[in-house]
Parts: sequence; C-alpha cells; structure tokens
Amino acid sequence: MKLLQACGVTKVYGGLQALTDVDLTVMPGESVAVIGPNGAGKSTFLNVLTGLTPPTTGRVLFDGTDVTKLATHKRVRLGIGRTFQHGRLFSRMSVLENVMTAAETCRRGGDGAPRETAMRVLERMGLAAQAAEAVGSLSYGQRRMVEMCRVLAGKPRVLLLDEPAAGLNSGEVEQLVERLAALREEHSVAVVLIEHNMGMVMRFAERILVLNFGSTIAEGTPEEIQSDPAVLTAYLGEGYSHADL
Amino acid sequence: MSDLIQLFVNGLALGSVYALAAIGFVIVYSATGVVNFASGQFVMFGTFAGVSMLLDAGLPWAVGYLAVFVVMAVFGAGFFACLYLPLRKSPVATMIIGTVAIGILMQNVALLAFGSWPFRLPSPLDGLSVHMFGAVISAHALMVVAVTALLVGLLWFLLHRTPVGIGMRAVAQDMRAARLMGLEVNRLLALSWILAALLAGLAGLLLGPMWFADVNMGDPIALKAFAASIIGGFGSLPGAIAGGIFVGLTEVLGASYISSAYKDLIAFGIMILFLLVRPQGLFGERIQDRG
Repeated sequence: MKLLQACGVTKVYGGLQALTDVDLTVMPGESVAVIGPNGAGKSTFLNVLTGLTPPTTGRVLFDGTDVTKLATHKRVRLGIGRTFQHGRLFSRMSVLENVMTAAETCRRGGDGAPRETAMRVLERMGLAAQAAEAVGSLSYGQRRMVEMCRVLAGKPRVLLLDEPAAGLNSGEVEQLVERLAALREEHSVAVVLIEHNMGMVMRFAERILVLNFGSTIAEGTPEEIQSDPAVLTAYLGEGYSHADL
Repeated sequence: MSDLIQLFVNGLALGSVYALAAIGFVIVYSATGVVNFASGQFVMFGTFAGVSMLLDAGLPWAVGYLAVFVVMAVFGAGFFACLYLPLRKSPVATMIIGTVAIGILMQNVALLAFGSWPFRLPSPLDGLSVHMFGAVISAHALMVVAVTALLVGLLWFLLHRTPVGIGMRAVAQDMRAARLMGLEVNRLLALSWILAALLAGLAGLLLGPMWFADVNMGDPIALKAFAASIIGGFGSLPGAIAGGIFVGLTEVLGASYISSAYKDLIAFGIMILFLLVRPQGLFGERIQDRG
C-alpha cells in the first residue's frame, strides 16, 4: 500500500518553472531523501506535499485518497508532518506549549490529554527536563529537537524533514539518525528528507530522488545515485565518472 | 486625602476601560498584524448596543448585557469575514484604510440611527456608593475595576491554559508553522476578532455610565487605547493593561491637580516621551519577524 504519492507535480511562479512533472512514491516505513543543488525546488516540493503551496498541475495522494485540494491542517491531522529548514518554533512559548499545539489538534480516540501526550514525546526525545523552559533559552541543537518533538506529537505517518541536520554537530546528527531509525522501526513512520549532509543521506536513505532546476534527474539507491552521470554533472560539472558525494 | 482616593479609584476605573479597549486592540494586532483603526468605534458600538438593549428595548440587565455580547460576537465575526478575509493578502496600508473606512461608516450609521444627542447608559449599580477612608466612591467605578481584573484573569487562563488559547498564541507567532501543527488558522483568527469585539463591547457597557453615550466617543477612546499600547509596549498584553491604567490615572489625576484643559496633553505628552526614550514601552519585547 502506497502511503504518500506525488503524481506529475508542476509548480509555476510567473515565468519560473519551480517544479516540472515530479513524481514520488513513499511506502510506509520507507526513507527517501530528496537532494539537489540550492534552488532545485526541494522545499517547494515539500510545500506542495503539505498543502502550503498549491501545485499548478499534478496530484498528491495520501493513503489512497486525493489530498491535492485538502487544507494543510487537515493533511497534518491525517498524518503528514513537516519540519522547516530554519526552525520555526513558537519562540514566545515554552517547550511544552510548543509540543502541545500539535498534540491537541492531532488527538485521536484513545489518546490522553494533550499535556500528557506532549510530555511523553519530550521524555522519549530526552527533553523532559526542559519542558517548562522558554524555547529561546535552548541551544540550537535542542531547538531542532523540540521541533522534532512538536511534529512527532501529531503522530505523523510520514515525516517530511527539511534539512534536519543543518547546524547540528556530528554527535547530534548521530542521535537524530538513531531516533529516526527507531521511529521507522517501531511505528513504521515513513521519512522524506531534504538534506545537504551527504553522509547522513547515504547512510539513512533507502532511496534518493535528485532534483535539478525543478525536474527529476535521477532516482535510485544511494549506490546508483553516486555513479549516475546526470547527478555528477549537476553537482560537479562535466567529466567526472564517480564521486564520493 | 479623601479626594485623592476618590480620584484614584475613578482613574483606575477609567484606566480599566482603556485597558479593555487596548487588550482588544493588541489581541487583533498580534494575531493578524492588523492595526485596527476602528477599535474606538467598536467600543462606541458596544455602548450603543447597550443603549438599544437596555434603554430602547427595555430588557432586564442580564438579558440586555447578554444580548450586547451576542451582537458584539456576531459583529466581530462579520468584521473578520467581510474585511479581514478579503483583504488579508493586500498590503498593510490597504487593510488599515479598510479599518478606517469601517470606523467612519460605523460612526455615521450611529449618527443616523441615534442622532447627535448624547444618551446616558444606566448601570445596574446606579446611585449606589461606597464610603472608604472618608471618600465617597461610586459602586459602578469599583465594579468596573473588579470586572476588568476578573476578565484579565480569565483571559490569562484562556491564553495559557487552554488548547484554544495556546493555539491562538501559536497562530499569532507563525501562521505557517501553526498550520503544520494541524491548527485551523482561520478559525483561530476569527476567534481573535470575536474576542476583541467582546472586550470592546464590555468596555462600552462599562464606559457608558461614566461618560455620556455619544456617537463621537469612539475616536478619543481609540487614541487613549493606542497611547496605552505604546506606553505599555506595542503588542504586549500586560503592557496594554499597565498602559491603560496609567493613561486613565494620568487623565483623572492630571485633570484635577494640574489642569482639566490639558488632561489629554499630559497623557499624549507621556506617550511621545515613551516613543522618544523607550519606544519598546514598559513591557516591550524585542521586535520579532513574523513568519
């Protein structure tokens, strides 16, 4: 059963073709990385998937239903979670309040009170001690982790992560990869990841989609992508046969 | 001494009304980014809704007050649907001019409907007074202060302890991120407008018995609420309360100890001083980008 599917997504801004006919299929529990040079349309693609940006043409399906016209908050409640490239926490609220926002709206039958749900997520991610603190007083790495907690409190079935490792040190990246792997295993949460940290991409992703100027130039396993001539050209210019991306 | 106590309570009462108007102003500003130039007319509308329900229709107190709140809530929702929603993607100036237009419209509709003669809106505590430390204080003034204090407490509870309130604060800080938390942004924005209209309605009901209900009362209130927000810190709720009370006290004490002709000059002079020396106000926060 396909969990998330984008069919022929095209986005035009005035005369700019931001995305051209992009397809993507994500199975439950799968991990897919979307890579490409800056301005390739990666974030726009995530915005189309979450409904923040309507596509010019093309469709988005979630769990077999067409959600192309569905409002963002409804998609989130169905189970599409997304984080931003530049953390966008509610900076004038406490850590717990930040996480509670999603815990409340995505509450399903059988869930406890939002406050308890939020606390549980914070405990699992090792942030329980900071629950009452203002978000502004946390370190950068912790803030990124709060963002992760916040999106997890909404019980996503697919997580769309926009450069989650940006600005994290190698130890924190390690932690992040472990926690994401655990999520995939325990709850078969699928992960779609935009990332420039190729170490993380190659280790974490089962499949990679490469965008350049809004079009798919390659799709395949990490091994296939590393020796794909079109990818090498896009990243390094003509004349390379293999690169240690 | 007894004079001072009496003036102090009156100033506190007037300041409470300014604070309510300023809170409504701030709630809308921080949630939607709109500087509502019709906010004074919102209060006028509350007073005249009270005149209609209590004087014209002759409803009993509880029913009349309740009817005013229902009218104000519907009005707030209407303002959201007819002005904010259609203009939300326009430049800020367009939105501001829209609020000015609605304000002028409201003032003139009130003039047509009620005429230019002032009314006196009754208070349930009319004629009652309390003797305190040798001063005679109107029971209405004490009620205004008590009701405002209670309301501020309730508002704090709403914004910090209930999911709806936390959602409203989230929307005020980052709409896109709020959408991605599954929050129904439009519903919460509508709630902000409704809440602002309800607060203005209450301010109008409380102010009516202290001033005369006059169709031109909106502008001075808007200016005072604006001054209160600047002195307290633009966008800050505690600031709106402190600023409102400060302006009310300054006005009443200044009028009686310095000069009644210059009472507005004193309040606005202090506002200008704040703009020059401490533009972030008493409780001002660092300016933050909205998403």
